Amino acid sequence: MTPEQGVLGTFVRPGDAARAVRALKAKGHRDVRVAMPAPFPEVVAAVGKPRSFVDYITLPGALAGLVGGLLLTILTSLAWRLVTGGKPIVSLPPFVVITFELTVLIGSLANLVALGFGIGRGGRPKHFPVHERFNGDVIGVFAAGGDPGSVEEVLRESGAEEVTRVG
Amino acid sequence: MTTPSFRSLEETVRATHGPPGPAYFVALGIAGAAAAFGGWSYSLIVREGLHWTGLERPGMWGNLITDFVFWVGIAHSGTLISAVLFLFRARFRTAIYRVAEMMTVFAVLTAGLYPILHLGRPWFAYWLFPYPNQRELWVNFRSPLVWDVFAISTYLTVSTIFLFVGVAPDAAALRDRAQGWRKRLYTLLAFGWRGTDEQWRHYTRAYLFFAAFATPLVISVHSVVSWDFAVSVLPGWHSTLFPPYFVAGAILSGVAMVITILVPLRRAFHLEEIITQHHFDMLSRLVLLTSAIVTYSYVTEILLAFQGPPHDPERSTFVYRMTGAYAPVFWLMVTCNCVGPTLLYFKAVRGRAWALLTICVLVNVGMWLERFNIVVTSLAHDRLPFDWRVYVPSWVEWAMTFGAFGWFFFLLLIGLKLIPPVSIAEMKEDLAHHADAAGAGMDHDA
Repeated sequence: MTPEQGVLGTFVRPGDAARAVRALKAKGHRDVRVAMPAPFPEVVAAVGKPRSFVDYITLPGALAGLVGGLLLTILTSLAWRLVTGGKPIVSLPPFVVITFELTVLIGSLANLVALGFGIGRGGRPKHFPVHERFNGDVIGVFAAGGDPGSVEEVLRESGAEEVTRVG
Repeated sequence: MTTPSFRSLEETVRATHGPPGPAYFVALGIAGAAAAFGGWSYSLIVREGLHWTGLERPGMWGNLITDFVFWVGIAHSGTLISAVLFLFRARFRTAIYRVAEMMTVFAVLTAGLYPILHLGRPWFAYWLFPYPNQRELWVNFRSPLVWDVFAISTYLTVSTIFLFVGVAPDAAALRDRAQGWRKRLYTLLAFGWRGTDEQWRHYTRAYLFFAAFATPLVISVHSVVSWDFAVSVLPGWHSTLFPPYFVAGAILSGVAMVITILVPLRRAFHLEEIITQHHFDMLSRLVLLTSAIVTYSYVTEILLAFQGPPHDPERSTFVYRMTGAYAPVFWLMVTCNCVGPTLLYFKAVRGRAWALLTICVLVNVGMWLERFNIVVTSLAHDRLPFDWRVYVPSWVEWAMTFGAFGWFFFLLLIGLKLIPPVSIAEMKEDLAHHADAAGAGMDHDA
């Protein structure tokens, strides 16, 4: 899979990378992407992406666990009516333990699935040019499309260590 | 102390995965031998029955249940350090939480064995899980034993996921400069990680959720374990104090175990620039705090018991604990868990690795004795005086107890050579901000 056409700048300092992203956006470049070895807050804020879809998978997962836990405990107790210690067949206080554990378990598994989907989507070479140093010691700022000359100028002015055209 | 650069941080962590020296193999051999001997001792029980243990009515719980509660407790601080301190934005956790998380997973793997080992017929352990069967029987969800199954298996699953999710960005950093089987291993652990903003966006959100799930879970699991005892009517067990008392004790023993592991690890892997005196100082304060809570719990349960008349079973049990056959266990427990940690009030003690290590090893001894004191003394001295009997663990039970330590350290030693023991990504975030705060910029190639 070949990357999209664009310009890639590498930065040593998170502050410079954040400045470059803001400057590119100010010049009208909407599609600015970043790769970095850690989630530097200033860079994340400059990129300004919307909230992750993980929320929409994890919460229903946790709710499914909650409902599943209640159904499992209540329905199986009704199916096998074993009276112990004179307690009611459907004793909700002890069932809360199982329901809580299943809420956490299914919620966590749903969270993992959502994360796996997000990592797969964001890790495609088409999304960002491959460069091993982005996991190591530099931050990459990639502007897809637009006028390459003006992007190069902005990246250099912001303190890019290296600027290359891609695609 | 010099601040490491991104590159030197990576190299330091990479060096921990270098070829091990003779000391590593000696430690691995001792741990493996202890685990194997424990396993062989257990095979006696499987082949010939529970008469190999010292268990006899009324003391039907002994070392094995003590070991179970002890190892669940050890598992706790890993999640505390990684999830709870993450939510509280306590930055000192970044250098130490990976080791704590590994400790958690291996401790739960150890603890989870015990309820099965303790069964008379362990091959029927699967009966504890609810599954459709021809007889249309279902498990009794009102039983604390079933709560344990759900709590421990959920805790193992969530803490394992949490560990490996945290490892992904670090494995990617190591993958890009690794070769051979290690490159394949890191590629697998990296989970397709490339560090793009799109990946970080989902990752940071999901990580927050994992921490949010793990935080109540860590409190619930040891509360559930405490209910194994508290829902019974036995004197010394039937108390509403048990859940917070058990959780505080679990954190105390877990943090003490983290320090016990980190002190030699830091020296062996040359991590002095990453795991600093500040980290030990903060962990020592945590030991001091939780020791104070545990001491308060000991005093509270004794004072509450002494509210009753002289013939009250609750009072009788606590008098027995302090003056009866198990009195040395009780007083040694108090010395290790309440008196010893008070030395950590002094900065000079917190600053000496050998002193810290000694206190923390003694806390672990004390916390094992605490569980023995709870499990055994109440059964040995129940409501029926004609039934009283002193339980003495057999050599098979001791072999299994030490075998569990062997199993745990065997797993840990292997894990330390496969999983980065420090969170590289979070350390980089910290380093960048320290450099920015100093106005010096980051020296990435130093």
